[in-house]
Amino acid sequence: MSALNPQIVEKIKYLITLYPAKQAVTLPALHLVQDEYRCVSVQSIVEIAALLELSPAEVHDTMSFYGFFKTEANPLGKCRLWVCRSLACDLRGADDLLNNLIDKLGVGLGETTKDGLFTLEEAECIGACEGAPCVLINDVHSLNVLDADRLVEEIKKKL
Amino acid sequence: MAKYEPVLLKRISKENSDTIESYLADGGYLGLMRILKDCSPSQVIDLVKSSGLRGRGGAGFPTGLKWTFLPKNHPGPIYLCINADESEPCTFNNRVLMEKDPHQVLEGIILSAYAVGASKVFIYVRYEYGDAYRATERAVNQAYEKGFLGKNIQGSPYSLEAVMHKGAAAYICGEETGLIESLEGKRAWPRIKPPFPAIEGAFRKPTIVNNIETVACIKNIIDLGGDWFKSLGIPPDPANPRDAGSYGPKLYCISGHVNKPGLVELPMGISARELIDEYGGGVWKNRKAKGIIPGGNSMGFMTYDELDTKLDFNGPGKVGCLGLGTGAVTVFDDQTSIVDVLYNICRFFAHESCGQCTPCREGTSWMYKIIERIRKGHGSIEDLNILEEVGNRIGTMPGTTICGLADGAGWPVKNAIRKYRSEFESYIKNGTKKFRHLHLQMAHH
Amino acid sequence: MATVYINDKAVDIGDKNLNLVQVAELAGVTIPHYCYHPELSVVASCRMCLVEVGEKKPDGTVVMQPRVIPACQTPAKDNLVVQTATEKSKSAQAQTLEAILLNHPLDCPVCDKAGECKLQDYSYKYGNSESRMVDDKNTPPNKPDLGHNISLFTDRCIMCSRCVRFTREISGTAELHIVNRGSHSEIDIFPTEPLNNKLASNVVDLCPVGALASKDFLYTHRVWNLKTQDSVCAGCSTGCSIHLDTNKNVVYRLRPRENPKAQGYFMCDDGRLGYHYANSGDRISKPQMKTEIVAHQNSWKDIIPALRTDLKAIGTKKPNGIAVMLSPFLTVEEAYLLASFIKSVSADAVLVLGPIPVIGEDDHYPKTRGTTPLKPKFTIRNEKCPNRKGVEEVIRYFEKKVVSVVDYLNQTIPDVMFVAAGYPDKDGSWMDSNLLSLFKKIKLLIAQDLFPSELTLASKYVIPSATFSEKEGSFVNFSGLAQELHWGCVPLHQVRTEGQVYLDLLERKGLLQASTIREEIAKAIPYFFKFSGGKLGENGIELENLS
Repeated sequence: MSALNPQIVEKIKYLITLYPAKQAVTLPALHLVQDEYRCVSVQSIVEIAALLELSPAEVHDTMSFYGFFKTEANPLGKCRLWVCRSLACDLRGADDLLNNLIDKLGVGLGETTKDGLFTLEEAECIGACEGAPCVLINDVHSLNVLDADRLVEEIKKKL
Repeated sequence: MAKYEPVLLKRISKENSDTIESYLADGGYLGLMRILKDCSPSQVIDLVKSSGLRGRGGAGFPTGLKWTFLPKNHPGPIYLCINADESEPCTFNNRVLMEKDPHQVLEGIILSAYAVGASKVFIYVRYEYGDAYRATERAVNQAYEKGFLGKNIQGSPYSLEAVMHKGAAAYICGEETGLIESLEGKRAWPRIKPPFPAIEGAFRKPTIVNNIETVACIKNIIDLGGDWFKSLGIPPDPANPRDAGSYGPKLYCISGHVNKPGLVELPMGISARELIDEYGGGVWKNRKAKGIIPGGNSMGFMTYDELDTKLDFNGPGKVGCLGLGTGAVTVFDDQTSIVDVLYNICRFFAHESCGQCTPCREGTSWMYKIIERIRKGHGSIEDLNILEEVGNRIGTMPGTTICGLADGAGWPVKNAIRKYRSEFESYIKNGTKKFRHLHLQMAHH
Repeated sequence: MATVYINDKAVDIGDKNLNLVQVAELAGVTIPHYCYHPELSVVASCRMCLVEVGEKKPDGTVVMQPRVIPACQTPAKDNLVVQTATEKSKSAQAQTLEAILLNHPLDCPVCDKAGECKLQDYSYKYGNSESRMVDDKNTPPNKPDLGHNISLFTDRCIMCSRCVRFTREISGTAELHIVNRGSHSEIDIFPTEPLNNKLASNVVDLCPVGALASKDFLYTHRVWNLKTQDSVCAGCSTGCSIHLDTNKNVVYRLRPRENPKAQGYFMCDDGRLGYHYANSGDRISKPQMKTEIVAHQNSWKDIIPALRTDLKAIGTKKPNGIAVMLSPFLTVEEAYLLASFIKSVSADAVLVLGPIPVIGEDDHYPKTRGTTPLKPKFTIRNEKCPNRKGVEEVIRYFEKKVVSVVDYLNQTIPDVMFVAAGYPDKDGSWMDSNLLSLFKKIKLLIAQDLFPSELTLASKYVIPSATFSEKEGSFVNFSGLAQELHWGCVPLHQVRTEGQVYLDLLERKGLLQASTIREEIAKAIPYFFKFSGGKLGENGIELENLS
């Protein structure tokens, strides 16, 4: 076992006890790996598959469906900054916010800043429409985001 | 009309509303303890049935009735899945409930699990709801500590295990069997029905899937009674034998071009106009509404002239919308281009179609390509006819698809073409429009 | 007793569990479909088989359901009414085809599947003649190396998922999966596990369009120029029924032929791709008889009588000095004819069985990555020859027991041995060095084989063998199922089939008629009594009663 550290392996084995079938641990295992390594490598997939008695293709099938997990060629930065692009946010300036963030961070959609801090992405409705336009900072909402510069600075302080 | 006092949202502004101490101090879990002591599961089912509660996830199926589809005398295990995948655009009421009052939700979950005989409940939370997930997870841990979950809850013979499960940003995981497939670790391709989940669901066992707002209602039905629930909302139309009524309180989400976007709890059946004007602060910038989405993207459009429609289970259908959906109202003003709005919606469905069945996989992609081309100024009148035709022919209603995403994808398209046809036609005739980065050129400056 | 009405025609389905696609077939009605396959789980995702379904009430009225339903997921039950060609059904089917063709490339002129493509066939019958799509089609890159023998033309795929379900449910190896979602979904492998399991190429047959291709066949031939015959694979004792595709005496392709009595719907890659030896230019192409001076290339009309004379001479002088080795690659008819001939030369001639090639263990599928073994759905047998059972029963009839050639030669070295080999191995590798040295001790050798070897070098008579693709006859598989072979190629050059050679040796006139020989065998050998009538039917006859 080389790609998954022992803590992750233990956690996966524990999760297997919670579900009636091993395959159900696929998504939780992928989350564990991506949270730790900011991507899911080919070798991780092989090792997850072995633990869950699946083929690596079966694990990858699930993984690629979500468009959420990154490969080792394109890992996430420390902060995945995703800008909601659904209707309520779009009606209240999401496109300007996105363009401002593109300018401020100097990256395009799907790209990571050179310092490895920010990956800029779009999200479909993140469920905070009362504060449109809104973003997710990893998995935490930030509402009423009108000032892209201030947002980035505030995030940087906490990183 | 007497002002309605919120029940579901009663506690959300309190300090530490999410802790078990605060919840117990407010009388929380008393209902559960009473039920475990005095009522059988079938009595709970009867109570929920007679309350007239219909699911709040978007389909509006009578909850108690759904519970009766479980096979009798099944050796088990029976599973309960809580659908906290809330991904219908413009909807956010589940998030607020989980973040601010997770124990209300959890008590509703435990009551529901008891009623259906579930030994394990999977709480499937969308990834994007990080704070809600953690609040609910804390609540689950606190409930275990205090003996409201686990073996022999509060000394009763009933045991329940709760498993938190995170999604990964896919709308189709909110579909009942898509959720089950995702829970099982596969790609979230909805299943063909029959068999229905109540017969063969998660891990091939009988499974009930319930929405967060629905279980929150169940907790309050237990506490306040089915009569309380029935005292709110709108009873069935006597002329329509298939109308199951629109009872109880509803959490309405208001967003878009209004002065006060937010969440409000009201008895079922408020009109869209009253909701926007009285509770949403009215349309912003002193403008008029060109139209609204009445219940999340999938429901289609209501024009300004249709805003007096009641937002209950029947109202939106009367003006050609798909239904009430999640009761999430999004307003777009009269300076918004309907082409931009429809573009945004088509892009969403093309992105979220799971790809399993031909009409939706190819149809959502086709509709998106067409509206994208129209928006760039290269559309033709024939495109409108194709859009309307495709919007009409994909879905479970004509029978051509496996799940309802296609109905939701097609409805806004066919509503928009029918209700705003002249705007589309003049847009097409006037040719190219300038805009950046393919995003909405909005009149919000 | 249940009756289903397909397009107003009543069909009695008895008490069988069928879906509507199957019932329609019984009524002679085709309901078009892609994702449904009788051996795979039902997913009803292609939406091609949409039909109108209703119920016939006791009073005779018919109530149709308002929406169309997939026929493949609907179980047939009594009084069900199915309409496959109403306006609603036809329009649903046409819509599905239009949707599939939105992103499908117009590759017919360069696509292998043309001529046997379900998309072509159904578009012609159920689709529209024009496309309304003016936008750009999705063009995902192709994946030419999905496996040793499999290429994927990604843009042609219609996402029926048959191939993925095959690798999960039948081979169990689960190499294929789907990546992405929506209209950007694609079939793919995982980099560490290409599609190389031994059943891999079945996905090419399963693919309704030309997305998955067999590299062995790709771009070699247009299917409408191929001649197809029913035959049997000669690769192992499973005896898969096959379609033999040939043109101008060249074998181009083998495909599995559905046979519920034999292997079902599939075949393994070793068998499917193991026909190239039949086309090889290294085959022995003419009969040869050595004389004292130099190896004479003689003609059949000289060699057959010379051979007969030589054998009869020894038969008179030393009746038990003649031996014949019958290989498990001979057909039942050939084994019987040669045995009959040799016994007519000398009643004491000995018949022995050629080496049975065994490689490894029986290979069961589906495989599993878990710990509980699964019930086998397909087995590749380790006995790599098609007719050991049939040849053994012929030997057993004449000799009362079956002795292997090695055991025999270790006891007795005959004066003459007719080695009817016909093994597909080159350079005589079907013999180990021990057997070869035993053969070399025999003074007069008659070698009948496909490829030259040290054995043919040491033989006075070298007779070319024919391949299964050139023969009429029958094989008996591991379970006693006897199936007919039909020739697709005329043997080239001066090659004659074994059966024809043995008829000539017996001085029987005319061409070999396998059914006539079978009738003789049926009368002579009790094990083969079901051969009477001469025909075995397209699915063969079980000779051993499995009660």
